[in-house]
Amino acid sequence: MSEPSIFFFEVNERQGVFHRRAFLLGGFTGLGLLALGGRLAQLQLVEAQRYQKLSAGNQFNYRLVPPPRGLILDRNGVSLASNRPNFRLMINKDKDLDAEAVLDDLAKLVPIDGTRRARVLKELDRAPRKAPVVVMEDLSWEEFSRVNIRAPELPNVTADMGEVRVYPFGGAFAHVIGYVAKASDRDLDAAKDDSTQDQELLHNPGFRIGKQGVEKAFDKQLRGRAGATKTEVDAQGRVVRLDPAGDIAPTPGKEIRLTLDADIQNRALEVMGEESGAIVMIDCRSGDILCMASAPSFDANRFVKGLSGAEYKALADYERKPLLDKTMTGVYPPGSTFKPTVALAALSAGVDPTERVVCTGGWYFGGRTWHCHKKGGHGVQNMHDAIKNSCDVYFYQMALRIGPDPIYTTATALGFGQAFDIGIPGQRKGLVGSRDWKKKAFKRDPVWHPGDSVPYGIGQGYINVNALQLATMCARLANGKRALNPRLIKSIGGVDQPHGDAVGDLPFPPEHLEIVRAGMAAVANDPTGGAYKQSQLGLGDVLMAGKTGTAQVRQYSQTGSRSNQGIPWRLKDHNLFIAFAPYDNPRYAMSVLVEHGGLFGSSAAAPRAREVMRVALLKDPEIRARIEKPMPLPPVDDAEFSTEGAAPDSPTEGPAAAPSPLPGVPQ
Amino acid sequence: MTLSGGLTRPGERDRPIIKFMEVDWTFCLVLALIAGVGGLMLFSIAGASWEPWADKHLLRFGVYFVIMIALAMCDLRWWFWSAYPVYIVGVILLVAVDVFGHTALGAQRWLQLGPIRFQPSEVMKIGLVLALARFYHGLTADRARLSWLLLIPAAMIGVPFLLVAKQPDLGTAILLGATGFAIMVLAGLDWRVITAGVVGAVMAVPPFVMFVLHDYQRNRILTFLNPEQDPSGDGYHILQSKIALGSGGLLGKGFGLGSQSQLNFLPEKQTDFIFATLAEEFGFVGCFGVLFLYGAVIFMALRIASISHSHFGRLAAAGVTATFSLYVLINGAMVMGLAPVVGVPMPMLSYGGTVMLTVMVGFGLVQSVRVHRYTEVTSGKGSLL
Repeated sequence: MSEPSIFFFEVNERQGVFHRRAFLLGGFTGLGLLALGGRLAQLQLVEAQRYQKLSAGNQFNYRLVPPPRGLILDRNGVSLASNRPNFRLMINKDKDLDAEAVLDDLAKLVPIDGTRRARVLKELDRAPRKAPVVVMEDLSWEEFSRVNIRAPELPNVTADMGEVRVYPFGGAFAHVIGYVAKASDRDLDAAKDDSTQDQELLHNPGFRIGKQGVEKAFDKQLRGRAGATKTEVDAQGRVVRLDPAGDIAPTPGKEIRLTLDADIQNRALEVMGEESGAIVMIDCRSGDILCMASAPSFDANRFVKGLSGAEYKALADYERKPLLDKTMTGVYPPGSTFKPTVALAALSAGVDPTERVVCTGGWYFGGRTWHCHKKGGHGVQNMHDAIKNSCDVYFYQMALRIGPDPIYTTATALGFGQAFDIGIPGQRKGLVGSRDWKKKAFKRDPVWHPGDSVPYGIGQGYINVNALQLATMCARLANGKRALNPRLIKSIGGVDQPHGDAVGDLPFPPEHLEIVRAGMAAVANDPTGGAYKQSQLGLGDVLMAGKTGTAQVRQYSQTGSRSNQGIPWRLKDHNLFIAFAPYDNPRYAMSVLVEHGGLFGSSAAAPRAREVMRVALLKDPEIRARIEKPMPLPPVDDAEFSTEGAAPDSPTEGPAAAPSPLPGVPQ
Repeated sequence: MTLSGGLTRPGERDRPIIKFMEVDWTFCLVLALIAGVGGLMLFSIAGASWEPWADKHLLRFGVYFVIMIALAMCDLRWWFWSAYPVYIVGVILLVAVDVFGHTALGAQRWLQLGPIRFQPSEVMKIGLVLALARFYHGLTADRARLSWLLLIPAAMIGVPFLLVAKQPDLGTAILLGATGFAIMVLAGLDWRVITAGVVGAVMAVPPFVMFVLHDYQRNRILTFLNPEQDPSGDGYHILQSKIALGSGGLLGKGFGLGSQSQLNFLPEKQTDFIFATLAEEFGFVGCFGVLFLYGAVIFMALRIASISHSHFGRLAAAGVTATFSLYVLINGAMVMGLAPVVGVPMPMLSYGGTVMLTVMVGFGLVQSVRVHRYTEVTSGKGSLL
């Protein structure tokens, strides 16, 4: 070793500096460690609870259990909307999700075509983190179990059993009940700030929101409250362990019972066939709507699955408008079915019902000839005959004489021009003309001209009604007393809803009503009546009263040709019929509307009314008992022979007409 | 000690058995304790299984421990002699990795030599300490305080710093830079230069972050400043780590019961974030104990540095200690949400062979300094100046 190259004092100085500096740096390190300890104390001692909560939130997951949607039943408990099990396949969106690879794996187990693949990828792209996206619904049991067996190898894939809405009658109730569908972005936006709605439930992939009719109007009652299953999950969201003690059971939605009768409704839709139109039937004692059918209809189940654009377009573009509820959203001129109302108005205005008008088939007024539907005319007509024959000339003259305002008052009292509180949206009020109305509606011609009154008398012109109003009017006329309101919702969750008969009486004297009713009875039961042949129920002495209507939707040519042959469907006349039965003790009132039927009220609408009425009557145990009652053996007390005073002549044909005396009014 | 009397005899201290006895066995025990805790945690997070981490971790520790003892027996003059060659080899390897290196996770850090894959930056951690210690060994206090010659150590630090930062491996670069700076300070750098250096470094941070860093690096720093901004993305690591720590409470959730780590909410639970696992399962008490062990290691290593008779030995041991301390402090701060996420593991605790090997080789050097604390190291003819 050579001599040291550095002198001793130098070494000492370097060593001293090193010691001081080492002490300093050691101190810094110690401070650093202390700072770490302090931070530990802050996190683990001071804020421990907060982080324990966050940790538990990581570890435990409450999986939403959607509540079963409330059932919708008819008045007798027949299920109109229920739920069926549905095996679904879902992918949970996750940070490190390779959607393409997962779909490739799934495609080996279940059929996944290109469109489905594209849709799932698009939805996954839009979905929030950890939100499940439905790949397939309605898997078969084989497919479902195939996926479930492989579940451990398929992270982020869930196959579970959900419920899906099903409408057993398909289209028969589609307009009343509506349908449910996936909540749209608009729905979600609208509900975003609504604290009464369960946001998580709204985003659940199986959740459906009511979109129309009862499903929409009572959506919240039907929805129920979601439950939850408590699970322990890992960071990938895979369930590690279940904790059934922590589960919360869902509350099912409330059951809603309608006043409708499935048998009547189905028959109504059946008799409509290919035609477009509406049939409404009301119990004229209680106001319960027994039938509210709009034709053509659509299969609500298709909407639950989600309609393709082409399918929707086909429905929306079809001339006969299956999506439109013609029982309340479509309004039509009532035509001659308005004549009972005009007659009642005339009576109220002091017209003598025995006063006669001569009908020669036309009437010249205001510079033109107003035709009667019968060429050559009806001859001498009093009010009863005019209703029975539906004589246009009579009603032209009456309307002209009394003016619009009594007609307006009467029509309003009978239910026209208003929307009823039946629980579901979509009613259009239509239009009932009056002087006041015209003043407001026509700024340039605010005066009601006499020429406006003339067609008003036969239900044309400034009068538009819907089928529900027609049926209500008929029910009010039929019971002859109460201005009852229609009711559609019988009970919600077992709680009875207000009845439609808790209302005041009609503002008409019973004699007046009786005259009109007698006229309607003659239409259906007098062999010379407007719809005699088509209105025979064939149920013995249970008779129907009615009134036909043919509403024109175009100007008839000046020659008066009313032929509907060879003209486009949309220009053909509407055919209407209102009816109630049994005549002597009215139970059921109804309206039938055949849109652009192109025939007459008597030929297109009355037979359909008869068929539906028969179902209702035969289903009614009291009526049935009356029909099936064994014929009493003669001799019988003479007094029993006389039927109700206003009853028309008994029909003379058919076995049901033959029976001799029948008891009067069973109560 | 029966031997103590004899140690004054010349040549006595060169006997292997004496050298072996001179190794600081308390220090080794503390290291083994820390590695043991590491093994325990790795066993726990694997779901009470030696596979796949705990067994390898402990095996590695055993092998590296033997290496450490072997290195401790190496004469300090050999270390001294090898200082510059190791440094130069390190620089060459860093250049090589830049040219032929393996790209992993977007950074070129790895070099493949036959079956062995290693990071040259680890070689540099030891090489830089050795080279700086050797340089200062031949420098007077005056010159070490302030002279133009100090540009040489500055360059010795700067070259590997830039090479590693370019990979990019910012964590290691900072570690190298800070270690080098610490050695300069220990060697007696003028306070004005120290102040200027610190102030300059602090002022350089914002423009550096905004203009030099890669996007992912910048995001890590922005995330660190506001982790709640994106809890599922970049902030996820920090947030989950803090949840693991905080939910541990005073006594922890119990061995094997840490839901954050067992259910994989905690990312990198076996490597960079193993301290969070420890904190979750053993709570404040466990953490404090482990921090105490680290403090003890640092204290003992610094003491070894200060009793060395050679300037080279002092600076080398202190440099290794500085590297080790920086590992502990940076990882601790990162896990506790006090520093951005940089890939710096907790030495001896985290799973992963490279860093453990570096640390154990470094401690081999420290032990060698202790064993040869009376050895006179001379620059001799090899002196640079």
